[in-house]
Amino acid sequence: MKQTVKAVFLLGLVCLTTAFLFGGGAGEKAPKYPTKPIDMIAPAGAGGGWDLTIRTVAKVLTDTKLVPVPLPVTNKPGGGGGVNLAYMQTKKGADNLIAVYSPPLLLINLNGSSPYSYKNTTPLAALITDYGAFVVAKNSKYTSIAQVMEDLKKDPSSVVIGGTSAVGSMDHIQFLIMARAAGVKDLKKIKYVSFQEGSGPAQVLGGHIHLLSTGLSDVRGLLQSGDLRGLAQTGPERVTTDVLKDIPTCKEQGINEVFRNWRGLFGPPEMPEYAVNYWRKTLAEMVKTPEWDAACKQNGWTKNYMDAPDFMAFLDKTNEDYKAVLGEIGMLKQ
Amino acid sequence: MDVILSNLSLGLQVALQPINIFWVTLGGLLGTVIGMLPGLGPATGVAVLLPLTFTMGPVGALITMAGGYYGAMFGGSRSSILINTPGDGAAIAATFDGYPLAMKGRAEAALAISAIASFIGGMISTIVMIFTAVPVARLAIKFGPAEYFLLMVFALSATAAMSKTNVVKGFISLFLGLMVSTVGLDAQSGVSRFTFGILELQGGIDFLIIILGIYALGEVFKSFRMIHEGTRKVQTKFGPIWITKEDWKRSWLPILRSTPLGFFVGVLPGAGGTMAALMAYNNEKNLSKHPEEFGKGAIEGLAAPEAANNAASVGALIPMMTLGIPGSGTTAVMMGALLMLGLQPGPLLFEKHPDIAWGMIASMIIGNVICIIINMPLAKMLVRVLAVPARYLFPIVLGLAFIGTYAINNMVTDLFIMIIFGLIGLFMEKADIPTSPMILAGIVGGMMEQSFRQARLISGGDWSIFWGSPICVTLILLTIASIVWPIVKELKRKKGTG
Repeated sequence: MKQTVKAVFLLGLVCLTTAFLFGGGAGEKAPKYPTKPIDMIAPAGAGGGWDLTIRTVAKVLTDTKLVPVPLPVTNKPGGGGGVNLAYMQTKKGADNLIAVYSPPLLLINLNGSSPYSYKNTTPLAALITDYGAFVVAKNSKYTSIAQVMEDLKKDPSSVVIGGTSAVGSMDHIQFLIMARAAGVKDLKKIKYVSFQEGSGPAQVLGGHIHLLSTGLSDVRGLLQSGDLRGLAQTGPERVTTDVLKDIPTCKEQGINEVFRNWRGLFGPPEMPEYAVNYWRKTLAEMVKTPEWDAACKQNGWTKNYMDAPDFMAFLDKTNEDYKAVLGEIGMLKQ
Repeated sequence: MDVILSNLSLGLQVALQPINIFWVTLGGLLGTVIGMLPGLGPATGVAVLLPLTFTMGPVGALITMAGGYYGAMFGGSRSSILINTPGDGAAIAATFDGYPLAMKGRAEAALAISAIASFIGGMISTIVMIFTAVPVARLAIKFGPAEYFLLMVFALSATAAMSKTNVVKGFISLFLGLMVSTVGLDAQSGVSRFTFGILELQGGIDFLIIILGIYALGEVFKSFRMIHEGTRKVQTKFGPIWITKEDWKRSWLPILRSTPLGFFVGVLPGAGGTMAALMAYNNEKNLSKHPEEFGKGAIEGLAAPEAANNAASVGALIPMMTLGIPGSGTTAVMMGALLMLGLQPGPLLFEKHPDIAWGMIASMIIGNVICIIINMPLAKMLVRVLAVPARYLFPIVLGLAFIGTYAINNMVTDLFIMIIFGLIGLFMEKADIPTSPMILAGIVGGMMEQSFRQARLISGGDWSIFWGSPICVTLILLTIASIVWPIVKELKRKKGTG
């Protein structure tokens, strides 16, 4: 019997530890703001771009003591961010959660995989821009993006493009935007293969696909070692972090187009005004700190701060741009 | 060779610093405990450690997280053996023979062999990693969609081994699993399939939820009657945690065979420990002289997958370390941590930061020793779970299953999905349909379908891509062998007896 009691006690202890590790307090409205922890949400698994961004924000805000309350990061993966977007609809008017989003926020709505869009959130600020990159294996016959586009013009199905996001989402669309600007007709016929998790780079290294459409900072290690060759980056001018400065922009190669992987923070719909004001002010201060500078430099991000009104206007315009491309490949679901 | 040894000695210098020994112990211990809890596997273990690592240097962070990773592999099978509920996906194969062993009153041996097999699998893989990390990673990238597809087919051929008596029922289970794996947003077309407008289903159904539903809930449902009748056997006397000579004689070869298999499957991005363990189990059942004992408490049926999943966890670190490609959720978290600490994983990591890369690898040698030292006395305590009467044990199992399920995606919807699968599991049990083919199909089905379509898209519909490389041909032959071999063996046996 004594052993039984001991074992029950042990199991109970395990339960308590778990509850401690995974429990989290939910905040309530308070006159003074913020007094309770704020949930910082990455709408994807740990380790990805969104996760890295929100963790960096939480860390800088805590290190610089700009926000006096704890900022625990929660991962809510699924549906390319759509699952969290639906979750935020259930938190209408809450002041205690903030999520990070980027182009997929618009794309998943336009391509029909989410009924909600950026209009069902409260945009707080744009923080950074990461750019896309088109890379090939070091023994590829392609040395410039122009050559790829030439081949595509002759036969749109002659080059196999790979990426990590689903068809109709970011990696796919950023390539199509460039192809369209380069004068490739029949965007629908371009072969795009979506790979799971982080296996895209392995596929281009192994020669299974011709070109990988990806984030500029996602393949830095392989670019540094020379295993991958960067054909183009999608920014208006070159990002200058270490090896990335050697990759020409699409503009330099005669494709007059830019694709920005902007990232910003969003509150739930109808976030109270005091909370919105607090975060607009705090984030404006955060982007001026040296800690933020250092973090951006380390991750190869371009600073791109936009306050809420500017950000909203930017989102409206960008949404129209994406709409045009999705319409052209027949993926627009509105 | 000299270079490797001098690198290794550099690594050992780093790993043997007292602070780093502390980190690897902490990582191993936390990993073991988290791995033990149903539903919480290495990915959760490493994610829990994530905020902590921001305060350490990159070496400490990597060492701690790697410790958490293989520690979880050590711990994952504890609950498989004791309460028939896998701690994580990779420990599912440990329920097949581990739980029957415990029910036969041999829990001590089961816990011991699983720790020993984990240790040997982890240790050999670490040593292999030291000498072959780079060439192995180069081999792994030769796996394109066609190769992946065939690998998944090979894994599914294990169904034959899992359907204990009735092959048709095995296939019913298999197809149920394949159907479940099609739920969610389809990456190749961007279309939602079978989500019925429920946004939470867009990410697909995590196989861990299926496992928790079928095993944890299923076990509770099954034993529901026993709670009142008090017929669940309660073990009160416990022996030392060790194995007999006979156990070892049966297990050593399966451990050695399963280690390289697990290691290589682990290296492949996207494949992972669960597949490695199931393939090892199937493999051993095919090679065994007494396959009829499998599923009824064959000790080698526990030793093989345990060695394989630890070997896989070591292998999975290779693409991340040498190429900067995270092949699994767990290594993706680790890579995220490295980026936050200002380190760029990739081919140059070994050149630019040899102390970090080799420090981590050397720490794994120490970590494996520490894990087995932690696990033996821990097993002595844990085995007493078997002394807990069902009326106390099952509510706790239920609680853990719900916590574990919620922790996967932080979604309430998953709790309902788990309950539904618990009921499905109960009906399957009543109809005598094996559940493991369904789970295996749930794990590999999604990837099998995606890689099939990726391959067809790349080749422009040309089928020859599926036999176009030596790897493809090898995999096809292996699949045929694994289906035909048991039949041939059965025929031979029948001939022999009559």
